[in-house]
Amino acid sequence: MADITQQMPGRSPATAIDEAKRQKLLELVRGRALARPTDLAEDEVMVWPSLVVVEAVCATVFLLLLIAVSVLFSAPLTAQANPNQTPNPSKAPWYFLNLQELLLHMNAGVAGVIIPTLALGALAAIPYFDRSPLGVGILGTSAKGRKIAGFSAIFTTVVLIGMIVLDEASGRTQFGIGGFLRTQLGAPEFVWNQILPVGIIMATIAVLVVLVQVIFKPTRREMIIALFTAFVVTYIVLTISGTSFRGEGQDLVFPWQLPLEHH
Amino acid sequence: MAREQTLADKISSSSVWRSVVRHGYPDTQRNQALIIASNVFLHIHPVKIKRYATKVTYTFCLGGLSFFMFLVLTGTGVLLMFYYIPAADQAYQSMKDIESSVTFGQMMRNMHRWSAQGMVIAVFLHMCRVFYTGSYKPPREFNWVVGILLLVVTFLLSFTGYLLPWDQLALWAITVGTEIGGAAPFVGEQVNLVLRGDFEIGQSALIRFYTLHVLFLPLVAAFLMAVHFWRIRKDGGISGPL
Repeated sequence: MADITQQMPGRSPATAIDEAKRQKLLELVRGRALARPTDLAEDEVMVWPSLVVVEAVCATVFLLLLIAVSVLFSAPLTAQANPNQTPNPSKAPWYFLNLQELLLHMNAGVAGVIIPTLALGALAAIPYFDRSPLGVGILGTSAKGRKIAGFSAIFTTVVLIGMIVLDEASGRTQFGIGGFLRTQLGAPEFVWNQILPVGIIMATIAVLVVLVQVIFKPTRREMIIALFTAFVVTYIVLTISGTSFRGEGQDLVFPWQLPLEHH
Repeated sequence: MAREQTLADKISSSSVWRSVVRHGYPDTQRNQALIIASNVFLHIHPVKIKRYATKVTYTFCLGGLSFFMFLVLTGTGVLLMFYYIPAADQAYQSMKDIESSVTFGQMMRNMHRWSAQGMVIAVFLHMCRVFYTGSYKPPREFNWVVGILLLVVTFLLSFTGYLLPWDQLALWAITVGTEIGGAAPFVGEQVNLVLRGDFEIGQSALIRFYTLHVLFLPLVAAFLMAVHFWRIRKDGGISGPL
């Protein structure tokens, strides 16, 4: 072997095998293969039946539930579409009503496109900021994580409801600040309807971040829990507000004051 | 001692049966492994799995339910397509016909509608579950991103379907919805024109939403789901405590 490599042009003789380091085949042992598909470790179960049964039961229960709901409640079908008859209020599908609610308080492009795009981008970016494997598989990472989530949820709910009511009371003029900028200082739409609301949102998020930082001294994961919770709660609160509390002219009303088709 | 052969034994040992099902009754680990590995639908699963991954209180079945509702929506959607006419002057009447003249038509429509709403909720809650259990962390970052795309596609599927009944609720919800999209800086007007195919919502918008709803978006969703499910396995199965 060594002779052959030495004869080959361009091949270094150093590649010849060092006899001392060569591993030797000692003997063949008859026995079980190292990893057979049916070898179960202590914390493992067979997918059939352990997981397949769970799936089958979940699917069956859910299907029965769906059938029951479909028997009891019919999908709505209102009068035929008529482009000449605008209902008041006109509402988007419920899962976009959070955007429609946002739209009442600022420029449509900011509320309807820029903010949701940024939100989705931020969501997608989460795993690239939080890379530590700590807390995987544990709801809320830790007791502290769950406490932070609760704090963020309460903070966001209170602040959002406050902001919606306040802005409504000021005639949707960004708490009067936007109104002041527009009527008293003659500021352009760009300033009072775009920069100002975005600034207010950023400031609110900043307050949340500072509060969580001061109160909890969180890890990065826990801070992201606070922010994600704020996002989810915002989505829910704005959706409920847009669905159940916006009547004619998108004015704030109680749910029982809504026109019948929006109940 | 061999027991007497029952009819079931005779059927399951026949050459026809054995040509379809290549493994024996799954009461041995070998056959339980084979049934997963040899069935194209079950092969989405590994043969064995961590015990915690079968706990309902960990996942609440949310991802599975989202997929299940996608299947229900596909099934009921195909049945509805046999009767629904995507023409502005006939769509509403065909909805009325589905509700009053088609056998189980109202039922199919109800199941389609409620699953559509349910799927939006389930996908959103699934995202929350994955977040709060930290399941997006490496090596699962990319699958989280695929999940976000699936959330967007779910919204779009529901939104495009919303117009099809062609009633007041549909027309004005889509009017408001597309106006929100149309407010996008620089490209809003163009996007709106592409979506509606016109300056207002009429026949062109209806056929565009219909095509997106019954063909294009389901294909995109199926493609993304294939990647999503595949990556769950390739990234080490469903997450769990380390």
